[in-house]
This record gives sequence, C-alpha cells and structure tokens, in this order.
Amino acid sequence: MAKREDIRTILVIGSGPIVIGQACEFDSSGAPAYKVLREEGYRVVLVNSNPATIMTDPGLADRTYIEPITAEFVEKVIREERPEALLPTLGGQTALNVAVELAESGVLDCYGVEMIGCSLEAIQRGENRKLFNECMAELGIQTARSGYAYSVEEARAIVDEIGLPVVLRPSFTLGGAGGGIASNYDELDLIVSQGLELSPIGEVLVEESIEGWKEFEMEVVRDRAGNGIIVCSIENLDPMGVHTGDSITVAPAQTLSDVEYQRMRTASLAVLEKVGVQTGGSNVQFAVNPSDGRMVIIEMNPRVSRSSALASKATGFPIAKVAARLAVGYTLPEIVNDITGTTSACFEPSIDYCVVKAPRFAFEKFKDSDDTLSTRMKAVGEVMACGRTFEEALGKALRSLENGRAGLGVDGHMRASETKEGYAPLLARPTRNRIVYIGCALRRGWTPSEIHDLTGIDRFFLDRMADVVAVQEALRGARIDDMDAEAFRIAKRYGLSDVQIAFLTNSTEIIVRTRRKALGVVPVFNAVDTCAAEFESSTAYFYKTYEAPVLANGDSLSAADAAEEPRQKPKALILGAGPNRIGQGIEFDYCCVHASYALHDAGWETIMVNCNPETVSTDYDTSDKLYFEPLTYEDVMDIVDVEQPDGVVTTLGGQTPLKLARALEEAGVPFMGTGADAIDLAEDRDRFAALLDSLGIAYPPAGDAHTLDEAERVASRIGFPLLVRPSYVLGGRGMAIVYDAKQLRRYMGEAAKISPDHPVYLDKFLESAVEVDLDCICDGEDVYIGGVLEHIEEAGIHSGDSACCIPPFSLSDTLVNQLRDIAWRLALSIGVRGLLNIQFAVKDQTVYVIEANPRASRTVPFVSKATGVPLAKVAARVMAGEQLADMGLPPDTRELGYCAVKEAVMPFGRFPGSDVVLGPEMKSTGEVMGIAPTFPAAYAKTQLAISYELPRSGDVFISVADRDKRSIAALARDFARLGFEVVSTGGTAKTLSASGVACKKVKKISEGHPNVVDMIADGEIKLMINTPFGHGPRGDGYVLRLAAVRHGVTYATTIAAAQAFAAAMEVARDKGLGVVALQDLPQWT
Amino acid sequence: MSLLASKMLAATSKPPAKEALLVLEDGTCFHGNACGALGEVFGEVCFNTSVEGYLEIVTDPSYAGQIVVMTYPQIGNYGVCLEDAQADHPALRGLVVRDMCYTPSNWRSERTLPDYLKREGIFAIEGVDTRALVQHVRDYGAMRAVLSSEDLNAESLANKARASEPIVGVNLARTVSCPEPHAFGQSDLASSKAFALAPPALARYRVIAYDCGIKRSILEGLVRAGCEITLVPWNTPASQVLEMAPDGVFLSNGPGDPDAVEGTYRQVEKLLGKVPVFGICLGHQMICKAAGGQIEKLKFGHHGGNQPVMNLLTGRVEITAQNHGFNLVVPSLGPLASEMEGISPAHPADLLFWAEQGIAPVVSNPRYGGVRLTHVNLNDGTAEGIAFTDIPAFSVQYHPEANPGPTDSHYLFTAFTRLMDGREDYLDIDIAKDRLEGWQFE
Repeated sequence: MAKREDIRTILVIGSGPIVIGQACEFDSSGAPAYKVLREEGYRVVLVNSNPATIMTDPGLADRTYIEPITAEFVEKVIREERPEALLPTLGGQTALNVAVELAESGVLDCYGVEMIGCSLEAIQRGENRKLFNECMAELGIQTARSGYAYSVEEARAIVDEIGLPVVLRPSFTLGGAGGGIASNYDELDLIVSQGLELSPIGEVLVEESIEGWKEFEMEVVRDRAGNGIIVCSIENLDPMGVHTGDSITVAPAQTLSDVEYQRMRTASLAVLEKVGVQTGGSNVQFAVNPSDGRMVIIEMNPRVSRSSALASKATGFPIAKVAARLAVGYTLPEIVNDITGTTSACFEPSIDYCVVKAPRFAFEKFKDSDDTLSTRMKAVGEVMACGRTFEEALGKALRSLENGRAGLGVDGHMRASETKEGYAPLLARPTRNRIVYIGCALRRGWTPSEIHDLTGIDRFFLDRMADVVAVQEALRGARIDDMDAEAFRIAKRYGLSDVQIAFLTNSTEIIVRTRRKALGVVPVFNAVDTCAAEFESSTAYFYKTYEAPVLANGDSLSAADAAEEPRQKPKALILGAGPNRIGQGIEFDYCCVHASYALHDAGWETIMVNCNPETVSTDYDTSDKLYFEPLTYEDVMDIVDVEQPDGVVTTLGGQTPLKLARALEEAGVPFMGTGADAIDLAEDRDRFAALLDSLGIAYPPAGDAHTLDEAERVASRIGFPLLVRPSYVLGGRGMAIVYDAKQLRRYMGEAAKISPDHPVYLDKFLESAVEVDLDCICDGEDVYIGGVLEHIEEAGIHSGDSACCIPPFSLSDTLVNQLRDIAWRLALSIGVRGLLNIQFAVKDQTVYVIEANPRASRTVPFVSKATGVPLAKVAARVMAGEQLADMGLPPDTRELGYCAVKEAVMPFGRFPGSDVVLGPEMKSTGEVMGIAPTFPAAYAKTQLAISYELPRSGDVFISVADRDKRSIAALARDFARLGFEVVSTGGTAKTLSASGVACKKVKKISEGHPNVVDMIADGEIKLMINTPFGHGPRGDGYVLRLAAVRHGVTYATTIAAAQAFAAAMEVARDKGLGVVALQDLPQWT
Repeated sequence: MSLLASKMLAATSKPPAKEALLVLEDGTCFHGNACGALGEVFGEVCFNTSVEGYLEIVTDPSYAGQIVVMTYPQIGNYGVCLEDAQADHPALRGLVVRDMCYTPSNWRSERTLPDYLKREGIFAIEGVDTRALVQHVRDYGAMRAVLSSEDLNAESLANKARASEPIVGVNLARTVSCPEPHAFGQSDLASSKAFALAPPALARYRVIAYDCGIKRSILEGLVRAGCEITLVPWNTPASQVLEMAPDGVFLSNGPGDPDAVEGTYRQVEKLLGKVPVFGICLGHQMICKAAGGQIEKLKFGHHGGNQPVMNLLTGRVEITAQNHGFNLVVPSLGPLASEMEGISPAHPADLLFWAEQGIAPVVSNPRYGGVRLTHVNLNDGTAEGIAFTDIPAFSVQYHPEANPGPTDSHYLFTAFTRLMDGREDYLDIDIAKDRLEGWQFE
C-alpha cells in the first residue's frame, strides 16, 4: 500500500490554548506531523487559536488560520479551503470534539470532507462509555462495573447496586474535568450535579471504585493493513485514584511479569481493532489488582494524547510523525525507523534506561483550593528524566521540577520535621508533596511496608526509595574528602545530585563538583535510540548517567555515545525553559525552538537542553543535538564539559536559564547575546533606577525592604497603594497590591516564607493607568521595535493575564513615539544583544517604565504572528553576530492595517474554591489570538476561542466597586441598546437609576432568596460584570464569581474588559466574523 | 572500596559487595559485583533486548553455552514465579545485568532472582555498563568471555577466555535434551498462569516432539492447541517415531550450532514427507539442514522480543520473540522455482525484496520439491520461516510461544493442528482474529 493520491488538501485541527489536561504536547505532536504531510506533497490547512505554538508558524502549514476552534469557524475555513480530508487525531480532545460536531451535523458530508485517521464511529466507540463497554464485553475484556446517570437520582440508584465508593466521570470532558471519587451520598450528589453541568451531553459515568489498584498505560500504533505495535508501556507510581496526569509515571512498566505484560499488550491491540481505530496512535489504560492480577480496562483515547507525546520522548519513536504517514495511507512496514535510519518502524522499541515523568503543580497560585490529588487533573506541566535505574531517574525528575528541590529530600527544603506519627496523614492523602513526605517518613523510621499500607504505592517503588534514603543517610555527616570514586558512583547510581551531596557532607556544590571530577567520576551520555543499542543510530538524542569504567586491555574505553568529533561548525548551547508552569509556558519554548532553527540556518551546530517532554524543543530533530536533562548548574555544566560550546543562550528560556546565567558566567562559559552583567543591570533595582535617572526616564517611586520596619518606612515615603513583590520571580509569584498598613503587615509576614534570601520590592501602584508592553531587539547599534502592545485591563493585572492588542488601539502616535524612543535609549544603554521587553504604565499622559527584561518575553510569539516578523529568529541571528541593518527587516513604523488581540485563558474551573479575580499574580495557563480588521472583532474572536459564549440577549448582571461606579452608566447603556436587560444590586442599581438606565434590582446574597446567585444557578444571567476592589474581600463578589465559573456564565472582572466585550458582541452580531490565513498577511522570511 | 562506599552500599537492600569481573576474549574488561552463584564460568556473550521475562530467558535451554547480557538495566523487579521457568534448571553459563533487584514486588513472586540464581548455581554479575558491552558485541560480533569472582586479574582472565571452548561446532543440544521419552499433557500445564490463560482445547492430536532443549511454553502452546505430546531425545531414530504413528512431529528449539546436531537432522530427512512436521528455531534449522540447506552464523544474532517479521502470504507483520545466532541461507535450498522467473530471475541479494513485492517466493528443492519462503525479518532481511509446498511441513526461526515476548504469532500452533488436519490453507490465519485465542480476562 502506498500513500493516497485522491487527497490533495488536508485540514488539521490544533488543540487550542494551553489548559490543564491539554498542554503543548499537541504542538510537539502536531508540528512534526504537518512537516511530514507537506513532505508527502499534501497541502496542509491548520486551524488553531494558540499563537504560542510552533505549529501556527506561517511556514509550517500551507494555510494557517489562528481562529477559534469551534464548529462555526472550522466550517468557515472548510468553505474557504475545500479540503478533501480532515485529520482530527493530532489536536487532542478539542480537535476530536469539533470534528465529531462537524461530522454529526453533516458539515463534513456537505463539503465532501473525509475524516482520516479515525472514523466518527471509532471516536464514538472510544469516547462514549456505553458503546465502549459494549465493545469490551464482546471481547471478553473486563471493565469496572458501572452505570450511566443523567440525574442525581439515577446516580444514587446505580450506587445502591454497586456500592460505595464510586468513581464519577462526566462524559466528553477534558482531562477528566468534573470527575471525582465519592465515598458517601453527599459527595455523590455534589460531584454528580457538577459533572452533569460540565458534560456537554449531561452524562456522568458512575463506576465501581478500583482505587488502590496499580495503573498502567499502553501506547499503541496501528496501520490500515492491521499491523499494530506497542510503542511504550507506562506504570503509574501512584495507584488508581490519582489522575495519570497528576501521577509520577514510569516507563517501561516495572512490576509486571511477562505473562501479565503480554496479556495487557494483546488486549490493547484487540481494543484498537474492536473500537475500529484505522490508523495512528491511541492509548489504552488498565488497572491491575495487586493481589490477584485481575485486570480491567479503564479507558482508551483514539487519538494522539499527552501520554503518546511522553512515549515518543521516552523511547525516541515519533508517534505523531508516524501517525500522520499512516493516516495518508502508508503502512508501518513501509516506514523507516527515523532514529536508526535503517530498520523498520514496524517494531516495538526496546529501551535500556528507565524514564520517570513527574507532574508540576501550581497550587500556590490558587489559594484556598484543595490540593488533594484526585481523578481530576490539576498539574500544569511535567518533566521527564532518564536514568539507568529508577532511583537515578526519579532523582533527576525531582530536581527538574523547578521548585527549588535538588532531588528526593536532603537539599535544605522539607526537612523531616514531623514525628513518626505525624507523617501518617501526610502519607495517606495524595498531594504534590507526598513523594517528598515518603522520603521524610523513611528517614523517621517508617518501613516501605507501612508506607505501602497508607499510600497503596507498589512496594517496588517504595523499596527503591528506601534504598535512596539509606544511601543518603549513610553519607550524611561524612566529609567530602572521605568520598572516593566508588562512593561518588554509588551516590549517583541512587540519583543524588551534587547539591544533595554538598548538603549531606556540609560542603558546597562547587567543591563537590571539583572533587568528583578530580576523582574521574564524570557522566557518560547515552543515546535514546529505540533499540537498546542493538543497531547503530544516527540521531543525536542523549541523556546522562554514570557507569563503572570499562577497560580495554588496561586502558579506559570511551563508551559514551556522545563522543567528541572534530568540530566542523561553531556550537550553540540553547537552554530551554523546563516544565510548563503558570508564568512560564510554551512561549519560551517557542523562542528556544526558533533560535535553534535560525542558528542552524546560520551555520551553527545547535544543542538543546531541556527536560519538558511536552515541547517541540525536545523533539529529537528540532536541534542538531538534544540533551534531555534537568536545567540545573550540575547538569548543564556536565554538558558544557562534553560539548565545549562556543556560546550559550540563556535569554530565551524564561527565568529557568536566566537563574543559571551568573553561575555559568563565573564558570567561564561563553555567552551568546546579552551578558550576565547586562541582565543584572536590568534586574537589579538600584542599578536600573540609577540608569533610568541618568536617562531622565520616569518610573514609579519605589523602595525595597528586608523587614516590616523597612517596608513601613518605604510606604510612608511613597504612599499607598503599593505594588509589593519578592525579588527574582516570574509570573508575579507572591505579588500583591496593598492599600493600607494592615495589608502591608500581613503581606510582609507571608513574604518572608517566599524567598528568605531576597528583599521585598515596593512600588507605587499607578491605579487605573494604561499598561503597555514593548518587545524589541537590539544589536548594539540599532533597535528594532517588534511590537507595541496595549493592554485591555488596566495596570495592576499581571501582563500575562491581561488581554492586549497590536497595534495600540487608544494611544496617540506621539505617545507611541515616546515609547519607542525610550526603548531605543534603554536597549542601547543596558547593552542588550538580542531581545528586550519593556513594560510601561501610562497615566495622565506620563510614561513610566515599570520594568525592562533583557530576555525573551511571553509576548514574543504573539507579536511575531501579529506582525509577520519572527522576533526570536531575528534575535538569535543578532546573538550570532549579525546586524539588524543587514537583515532587510520591514520598517517597524509600518501600519499593519489589522488588529491582533491576545487573551489569557484561566484554569479556575480546575480549582474549586479559588477566587477568579485577576490581580498582579499571574494565573493563566495559556493564550489565544484573534486577528480581524478591527479591535472589537479581533477581541470577539479571542472570547469565542476560549469558548466564552457571546450572549445575544438575556440578563446582564452588573455589580462594581465604588471606583468603577462613574464609568458604569455608559457601559450599561450599551448593553441595554444591544437588547440586554440590566440587573443590579444595591449601590450599582442606585447609580444606574440615577443615570437614567433602566435596571432590575435583585437581592444581594445577604438579603435572602431569591438572590443573584439563584439567578445564576437558574441560568437567567447570561453575562456578569463584577469588579472587585483591589485586594479581593471574601464577600459577595467572591461567591458571585465562583458561581459564574461553576455555571459557565461569561463574566468580566474589569470595566475595560466589559467595554471590549460590549463592542465585541456588537460587531459579532452586526457584521459577522470572517476568517483570515496568516499567509495572506505580510510575512518576513 | 572505601569505608564510606561500603557503608553506603551496606545501607541498601543489596548484600555486601563481592567483586567480580567479566572479561572478553579481546581483553575488554568490565568490573562488577557478583549477584548469583560465585566461581568462574565461560561462554559466548550475547545480549537480549526483552524488557521483561528475565526468568524465561535465564531458563531457556537454547542459551546453553552462553553468557546472557540483559539490555534493560534493572532486572529482577517482579521476582521469580517458578512456573514461568522454561526448563527445570537453567542451562546458560552466566547472566550480566546493570542492576539486580533484591526486593522484588509482584503477587506471583515466590523468591528473588538472585536467590534463584544462587540456588541454581548460576553465576551472575551486576554493576556492568551493559550498554557499552552491547555496543561492543554489536560492533565486533559475539565472542567468548569469562565471568569470575575468583580470579580478578583481567589479563589472566582474557587468556582463559581465549583458551575456552568456542560454541561453533559443538553439539550443545544433546546436553539439554531429555534422557528418556516421556509424556506432557494437560495435567502438566502451569497452574499459576490459569488467571491469564484460557483452558486448553480438547486433546485431539498425538504429537511426538524431538527435545533438543525444548521450552516449557512450547509444550504448553501445543497442549493448549489440542496436542498430547510424547517427548523423545534429540537423536531418536525416525523409524522409532514413525512406528508410534503420530499425527505430527514437532522439532524443538535448542542451543548452539545446528551443523553439530547431525543426530537430529539426519532423522528429520527420513521424517519429511511421511508425517506432518513443524519446527521452531533449531527445529526450523533441522528441517533446513534436512533439505540440504546451509546455515550461517549471524554477527550477534537476534535475541529479544521486538523483531518485526512479515508473513509474506498475508502481508501482515508480527512482532516476534527471537533467540538465535544462526540463520538459513535461502539460496542454498535450491534455485527459484520457474513460476518466479517473471518476478526475479535469480535469488535477490536482499530478502526484503519479497516483502516489498508482497510475494512469498518458492524454491525448487532437489529433495522435497517446492519450499516457500513464508516469513522475512524486516530489520535485516533474514529468513524467518518456510513451508514446503509438496509435503506437509513448515517451520519458523522465531518463537511463536513467546515467553518472553509478544504472542502475535500464536496462530502458528493453530496452523500446526490445521496441517495435521490435512488442510491446504493451514497458514492462512488472520492474526487479529487469533489474537485473543488462548487468553482470558475473567
């Protein structure tokens, strides 16, 4: 069989913005898949609303539509492009859901579009629990006993039959959203009622609890000839009950004997055949009873998934690329294994290392939300680590998480401070820290068996961890001089980092490193080659480990795969961004990838270091070499020692590599682009303030403080309100606005915990100022202004959470020129060689510089897509020594002729109990983009892309803080004109009536029933405008906003957003929204 | 080892270190610690890429004379269930792993792997850079080696390795064959696998199995397919077998150089055409030898559970378990049959040609008529299976019984019963339909 010639154009759907449960793994799957499809000669049309992805680069697909992934917009694209085929399996649940909607509504038939990769029937059999369970029954494969409920009463009836506890899974929701475990009828009623609302078809599966069983996952690939292979098996460290996305997982499966493994393998293949997955990748999840081997199937996904991205990185087998080829007609034996370049892709990878994935959480961002891990995924990112033992891989994974830890304990954090008994509750409840508590408990004398009884974690993993702790404790208190090579190798075999060794021996990381190297204990770099070294591989994808030396006739034999060859080209080492977390997402990965492309094209050998399996940067063919390693000093320096790079890029991966810059520079590592001193000049408040003073640039009055006394002195000097934050943070972590001395005292009490070594910064907060971002590139002589972004929300909302527009929609040319002028002067005087991001606040026509970051900013991908100039690539070439003047860039003063809006996507639905108000601390996980001729139309697209409905009529509830009362009348009048009925409580109603706006008054929560929350619950309120006052009191506003999130009511928490909303609704209603391909806008290449 | 290093190691689940060496005949030396029996053993080094199934590998009689390196680094994780063993006692010379597990976890586990190895007197070493070792064997070919906990002098060990007996030309099959004929039936099936495996089919076929070191799971596979088996020693005369008038004869797997197992293939010459014959691995090579075929030694062999094999009759690919160091040279069976002329006038240099064409070519064998090449390895284009067109016999180089490894090729046991039923289409089985045969999930 060969590829299909009857297809010319293929429509592929991306996965949209990054949300919990659906991160950039689909960029990592999609981008290479599209490359493959184009190589095969197909015309690829892409729809994806996420501008931060590589896949939405205009060069990747033939036609790139950054449009909402809704049936309405995808149909518009189909009408425009007339594809013969739709490939829905590479864009996660989002793409699959839209494809199903288009197929069921007849749109695909109407335009003659064939779904390839997976049929509608197969998707339904895979996703609809009832059909799926029927299929499994026909195969004789067990599923957990269960029933479907469409009401709370039905759920209770099912529970009467199968007993408590039960697992509840709303149908067709992302990452298990809305699911949970109920141990009593109260919990049952609560979760079922929430789940029914979240499920698009109002259906909740009520299932026998198999909590505590072992959980496994098989990654399967199948072709249309019926050949099927298992790419990877994965075992969860946490037993059933914790979502697999929230669990530490291990590949390959560790505790299955051959007969158990082969039974699971066979069942997985049979499941794909039965469900009817024609081609491509799927994952199948199983639970195994640890006491008798009983195996039940949990679910399968008939598409590329988060775990297939992980499996690809874990084994080197490129599932998405292969799936794309299979979808257009090839069979597995017709495809060559990319990694070996010689053997068949129709085989099952064998790996000779252990892979550990660890989830990254962000509970600290969502105060008051429950941090118990459950069947509802809450992780915002993940890391992967490879080692030759589970212990080694676990240690590497834990130190990759960017949470200040250096491994499993003994790093100065989380000492074993409880009594032995004190650990019982910490072990019993699954949380993000449980893995560390296990280490503490072992130190306090718990046995693996006792811990197993409380956690249900398999003894295998606990025994391994017990060994790790035992080695640590044996080392504790020793002198570093007593460590010989053997002791170092043992420490490394059990996953200890140099930092941990330093902690245990009361030494420093540098001393440990020096001694280790002096003893000749240096790592080897092994290739991830899909075949356990059985065949030679040409792909440069490495991980690090430590091996006993091999002697060839007495001489040491160099066994490492990453052996040094004569240097042909200069080498650039690019440090990636680490795990996705709030404040540091895919945007930085985008920049690293672009730099790699640009430097490769400019004749450099590019070397990527990163530990995030969800990204394009960790695709083995993005850079010339890939090191899948933690971004710590130790791990990066080990790579530097082997590669001896000519330049290291630290300014594109966000805060992670930036934090290393100083130490790397002290170690004599050559930098590319902006140097550590320039970074320091911009980040050090005193130096930066002195610079601004010397340039005559205004900035908000500020001060810093190590103690409350100092803070109060600063406050009395510059006055309230104050923006307070700890130094050296990203994403506004720990940032707050304080309005009086009492709040300041409370903040200072908490801030001490955040970062004990660094002071707290206090800035005058410019209330109701307009915030502006500016991204530019400086080569030392010229400055190129990439874009000026006007924020929609006013100053005080973190820039990452604020919507923004290119070009500025309300700023005068004079003002924009003033911003440009400041950018030129700042960039040149800081000494930037590469990207610079400046944040301004404009108040009363005065421009204040809030901060300047001489590195890639979160907005670089958005600006690049909006303007057609790939800033990260240009910046990389500047770092490599090119001059801006020689690049032929379009004038940065040109008029774009259209508007591009970026809007943030919030994860509040995942964190019940957490307030949804925007503030100076960033909370969004992702972003969407809208492009249209006008600002309101572009803004409307962003709202639709987040699946906020733009209601057309009904009640709009308005309740605003006092400071907003003056501006509310005009807005309310707009809504009335658009045909909405305005509803208000007390004060706001009075203001509106006084201004002559007709307004229905409802009761506040405190005034009894029926009140406004009842109206929200009843679905009467279609839109809610509620602005909180500064510091978010736990009053009515909080309850209202929670109700809005829970019931899916569209809401705005700032006046600016509400105004944009009104304009958007008007344009969407009157003119309709067209679609536009990036290729039709000017692009610089 | 320093005091501190000893103290660190002593705190773990591992026993006190007992230093051991692995030295190859070319002088390459690997340091490690003993993790099984102690002493000094010699053998040919080969590596196995299976991730699980270490006990099945350790006990596979085909490893007689060999030192096995496991490519997956942590071995012993799920312990030992004795009924997973493929023979009463291991026949391999030694085991090399990166890391041995002393605290396994699995509901079926009866003891730890190091404990098992010690009781069976099998030398094992851990702490070795097995990846470097595998790369060495891959690049320089299989070679002799010595494992020792007694002599820790690399030079002296290298000399001993060079002086040790090579595997080529040695009849190892006779060392692992059964001494006397005996029966194997339904009552001999492993009860500890009943949770996963379906009950056997009704016993309808009487099969004689030549035991050249047969794996227990082959016997179980045959029994589950409906066979009642009499095992006979490797050199049992054909006349004696034919006297018993069996429904079919099975030729087992076994260790070492097939050329040295003349005692078996001379008998196979007399069986072919007289009774339905099925062979696996060494059994396949015995059939090839009987048909006058030539067998060559592979550089480092196929040992693992992920080898892709295309069934040229159906075009379907099976992921197979393999364990062999020798392989059939197809042209040695005879010239291509005349009907192949239009496609290829002579034997193509690479058998992958047939996989690309989707054709199962037929060779004219001077002794037995047509021989069809039925299976080809997609990694390196080696022959993996043949079927005679004029007499009832077929064989495969790989292991449909798996154990360890994938069970895609389970259908070959069904094929054997269909061959005994006299069906022409005995190999024409859809592996997807056969997939769940033999398993159960209740």
